Amino acid sequence: MTARAQPPPAVPGGLRERVLAASRQARAAGIGVPEVPPAAPTDAFSAAASAMYRLLCSLSEADWRVLVIRGLDAQCLIGHLIGVEKDMHRCLAGDAAVARADHVRSTQAEALRQRARPAEATREEWYQAACRTIALVAELGDLDAGVVLHGVPLPVRDLLVARVFELWTHENDIRAATGRPASVPDPPSLRLMAALATAYLPFGAALVGMRDPVGARLVLTGPGGGTWDVLLGPAEAPGRTSLRIVTDVVRFCRLVGNRVAPADVQAQVSGDPWLAESVLAAAAALALD
Amino acid sequence: MRSAAADATVRFVNSSDALLAARLAAGDDYALAEIFDHLAATVYGAALRVLGEGAAAQDVVQDVFVDLWRHPDRYDPQTGTLGSYLSVRARHRAVDLVRSELRRMARQERHRRLNPNGRDKSPLDEVAATDAANAVRAAVSLLPESQRQVIELAYFRGLTYREVARTTGIPEGTAKSRLRLALAKLETVLDRQLLESL
Repeated sequence: MTARAQPPPAVPGGLRERVLAASRQARAAGIGVPEVPPAAPTDAFSAAASAMYRLLCSLSEADWRVLVIRGLDAQCLIGHLIGVEKDMHRCLAGDAAVARADHVRSTQAEALRQRARPAEATREEWYQAACRTIALVAELGDLDAGVVLHGVPLPVRDLLVARVFELWTHENDIRAATGRPASVPDPPSLRLMAALATAYLPFGAALVGMRDPVGARLVLTGPGGGTWDVLLGPAEAPGRTSLRIVTDVVRFCRLVGNRVAPADVQAQVSGDPWLAESVLAAAAALALD
Repeated sequence: MRSAAADATVRFVNSSDALLAARLAAGDDYALAEIFDHLAATVYGAALRVLGEGAAAQDVVQDVFVDLWRHPDRYDPQTGTLGSYLSVRARHRAVDLVRSELRRMARQERHRRLNPNGRDKSPLDEVAATDAANAVRAAVSLLPESQRQVIELAYFRGLTYREVARTTGIPEGTAKSRLRLALAKLETVLDRQLLESL
């Protein structure tokens, strides 16, 4: 009999704990590798706006006329974003009216106004509005200042990342409608987006009426990904169910933008699949449109 | 009440080495614990086959798993299973340990020769080095008599080439070539240990 055929030896007691402790000391859990440099929310917003602007500069006259979402063509969708930027400006100035405004209804007039304009004028107006947003945030200085926009209260730093989601999602709406390949944010932006989505997942769980108390471990793979433990459902409920969901960070962000159905996320689930579906539905509920 | 999976559209997907590696890269420390539970005995066995019983094999297991956690991207699921990858890493690490122990023993013997009353290692160091030293001694014992003799004289007793030649009654050039040959053989023996355990 060769040594190869022998059963493996018993692992010495205490070695497991020793190895896991040494590993966690060598590299903190939760952070993905290769580790991405931290991005400022303003930089991520600026990068998303630049990506959108580059796309808009590449559109043909016919591309601008292609229907994208909600009956809006590309030009009217950018008009919607002009409206969002203007509401954002008012929000940063402390205008209470935009706090209660509906995300789609409050921007519809701007969207429809674009129909009579040259596409280039729409593009430039939106870009100037996005630049103004960055300037106003810089003037404000305090990224932790609390604001309310379109019914959602959150600090300015989170609002900027939420806007990164919106710009990236609509950029890809236009890409899909005009037959262009999808784009992916840079890893530092993805890291910010994933962190925001997981932080607000309990809010999404409340939106979808999730009643089961769940302790979910979200493992988002790929550059910009990471691992997050999130408690969902009623805090006072006993017997929290453990769940692990593993999926690609980009797919998860598309889900949060409500552009991928939970069933199409291709998640690897450990635990109750139905509960996992509820968690993914909670993520999709975070999208505004 | 809905059954757990009856209406679910989210599929349960079985784990795979590629997925485990992706989880490690994403910072999921539970994945590391799962891998340890599945493969630690195999990795430990691979280290033991080179080093024999003892603490050194446990150190190898720790090094291999810490390295996997720090650099999960070094494992390519396309090239083989995670179990094979970790076993090979353990064997390489164990052989490296034996080789470095050979060099350390040689240095120690020279030092002792120059400082016969001095101590250069703590009792803890002595214990930790024992397993690797045993592996080196085992490899030396496999050498032909003429080569084992020059190794023992040069490395374990710290004699110079000239002294080895004088002691064994051979020309200095022959002592040098035997020593080179013996060291090459030792490397081969250690490499064979590695290959046989693959």
